[in-house]
Amino acid sequence: MSAIRDFAELRALLVGAERHDLDELRRRLDELELAPEELAALLPEAIRRSMAESDRLAKVLAPTIEGSLQESVEREPHKIADAIYPVLGPAIRRAIADTMAGIVSTINRAIEHSLSIQGIKWRIEAWRTGVPYGQVVIKHALVYRVERIFLIHGDTGLVLAHETAEDLEEQDADLVAGMLTAIRDFVNDSFNQEGGGDLRTFEVGDRTVHVEQGPLAVVAAVVKGQPPVDFKEQLQDTVALLHSQFGRAFREFDGDPEPFLPAADLIADHLETVVETDQKPGWGWASRSMWLVAGAVALVLFAVWFAGNRRWHRAVDALNAEPGIVVLDADRSWRGGTFVGLRDPASADPGAVLAERGIDLDRVAFSWEAYLSLDPSLAEGRVRTVLAPPPSVTISARGDTVVASGTAPAEWLAFAYRMQAALPGVGYLDLHAVEPRFSSEIATLRQTVEATRVMFPIGSASWEMGAGTEIDAVASGMRRLNAAIGAIGYTVRYDLIGRTDITGSRETNRTLSQRRADAVRTALVAQGLSAGQLLTRGVGTTDPLRSDDPATAAQINRSVSFVVRLSVTGSEGTP
Amino acid sequence: MIQKKICLVGVYATGKTSLVRQFVYSKFTDKYHSTVGVKIDRKEVVIPSGAVNLVLWDLEGRDGHGDVRPSYLRGASGIIYVADGTRPGTFEQIFELRALAEKTIGTVPSVFAINKADLTDEWQVTDSQIAALDASKWHALRTSAKTGEGVEATFQWLTEAMVVGGKA
Repeated sequence: MSAIRDFAELRALLVGAERHDLDELRRRLDELELAPEELAALLPEAIRRSMAESDRLAKVLAPTIEGSLQESVEREPHKIADAIYPVLGPAIRRAIADTMAGIVSTINRAIEHSLSIQGIKWRIEAWRTGVPYGQVVIKHALVYRVERIFLIHGDTGLVLAHETAEDLEEQDADLVAGMLTAIRDFVNDSFNQEGGGDLRTFEVGDRTVHVEQGPLAVVAAVVKGQPPVDFKEQLQDTVALLHSQFGRAFREFDGDPEPFLPAADLIADHLETVVETDQKPGWGWASRSMWLVAGAVALVLFAVWFAGNRRWHRAVDALNAEPGIVVLDADRSWRGGTFVGLRDPASADPGAVLAERGIDLDRVAFSWEAYLSLDPSLAEGRVRTVLAPPPSVTISARGDTVVASGTAPAEWLAFAYRMQAALPGVGYLDLHAVEPRFSSEIATLRQTVEATRVMFPIGSASWEMGAGTEIDAVASGMRRLNAAIGAIGYTVRYDLIGRTDITGSRETNRTLSQRRADAVRTALVAQGLSAGQLLTRGVGTTDPLRSDDPATAAQINRSVSFVVRLSVTGSEGTP
Repeated sequence: MIQKKICLVGVYATGKTSLVRQFVYSKFTDKYHSTVGVKIDRKEVVIPSGAVNLVLWDLEGRDGHGDVRPSYLRGASGIIYVADGTRPGTFEQIFELRALAEKTIGTVPSVFAINKADLTDEWQVTDSQIAALDASKWHALRTSAKTGEGVEATFQWLTEAMVVGGKA
């Protein structure tokens, strides 16, 4: 027994420590699962190492995290919302701001185009298709060109890839990208104190540089003109795509651009569609020339309208200034015009007044109400209108006095005398200088009467034998003349002029001549002629009938001859 | 071609822009132009392993009040610290700048250009200061943007250090 105890003692002495260790190891093997406290101590380091080696852990954990997140959201959604609000808030704000900027730029374009020919075309399209105008504008407004595009490494600012549109000179991409990065850094340093955002766009002359930033790389596009609203989205998609494909390469970039050769194709490919919408050549020229033509046409139309308008107003003024014309209303339309007013028949012809001022009478309509104007300057016109003088009569006016002269048919003159006092606005119508023309019957009768002479013997107041025939003939002529002349409104008087030869005293001759005229008068009255129309005048030798032969002259002056005096009945005029 | 971003930092008027001008364009002017912000230039350097495209960020000089903008240092593969050999003060400030740079972007290959070596009369860099640099294993070169002395060598050395991976 003691031997066994000794052995145990010896063993404890020799391998006691190891034995203890062995027991401990055995215990650990029995309980392979770790104590929580031990695991807690090891976990962070374990995760770090696992992540450094591969992304297996992330993959393994992903479903679990997704599951717990989902459960958490289902159970208490507002807790998650509160937790991620600080992250999502700015992102949402930025998204809204982007959308608003897009809307504003669309509106700007719509306004910009609304007055152009293109704009009018778009309006017609909108009206035809029933699509709102704004949408039509958006559809067409892609007039821009992406000139250059750069893929820039975020940290170093070095160019990883760059593409330039055809027919543009290559720029030193390294410098452009470097400056772009410097500008971006400066902006971020200066304005990004409160997480406000990064440099998104800036303008250089008429070009806009659009900068789309990813966590590791930046895509910058130099754009001329107005890119469409979704251009930024396209860039963002490109940046996202680049990050998914080259994320590792971005991170491990050490100055070697080799891994990014495919990226050049990507940015070029991706933006090719945008480059295709370059401005159509010639449109600008066509637009300008169309505007020029339209402007010229408008100018000509305006000039024509203006001249027409001026002419019209001048014509209206002229018409109104015309005596005897009162324009109450003058309407001008593109087809012509209408005049409404008062017009004295004696006034000037309104058509002539207008024609003189270049108004096309075919396009003008008149509506006149007749009236009488007492304007003195109308006196002549009134005479012409009312009396309608024959062309052989000359009419002239001084103030309201109208003088007529020339010859006229006897009937017209009689009519003129009758109307003399019935001409409104005419102060005095002088008809004395008008010579009446009588019918041939009257003229012949007059000639016959005036050609007749009743002859007397020397120193006697009793006519010669046989002169009674002359007296009968004269009486007959006078009676016929009286009838004819009365019918046309005239009155006739006869002058019976007694004469003597030159022998004897003057006084004797005068008395003798008077007696001779009285004798013929008595005879004519006896034949039924009115004494009132027979005037005797004994002129003696003072107004002799002429003859070259003294004997004949003495004989023809021993006579009574006749002068027919015709005048319009009631007038004092002497023809 | 391999590309590298390098930054030139230093106190104002130490000749950073002139060094770049001399290096890239082989030109020098006596006129002083203050750099505002940053100037960027490019130069191809050939080293035994191949050609390297250097993008040079010539940073606005530190004027004693303002600091070098850290974001401009980001992504730099190498730094050239420039001091004025005639102004010991500029020399001292380089150490502060280096600390700032290392805090911002970690340790990258760098070289110390002690510029204006052509102004021998006014040269004030003491042996002890150079010894201090040696002690910190900081490669230092006397350069002159005017004569070109040491300029090519500075860039060449830094390029090799960056590409080959030799830290200094």
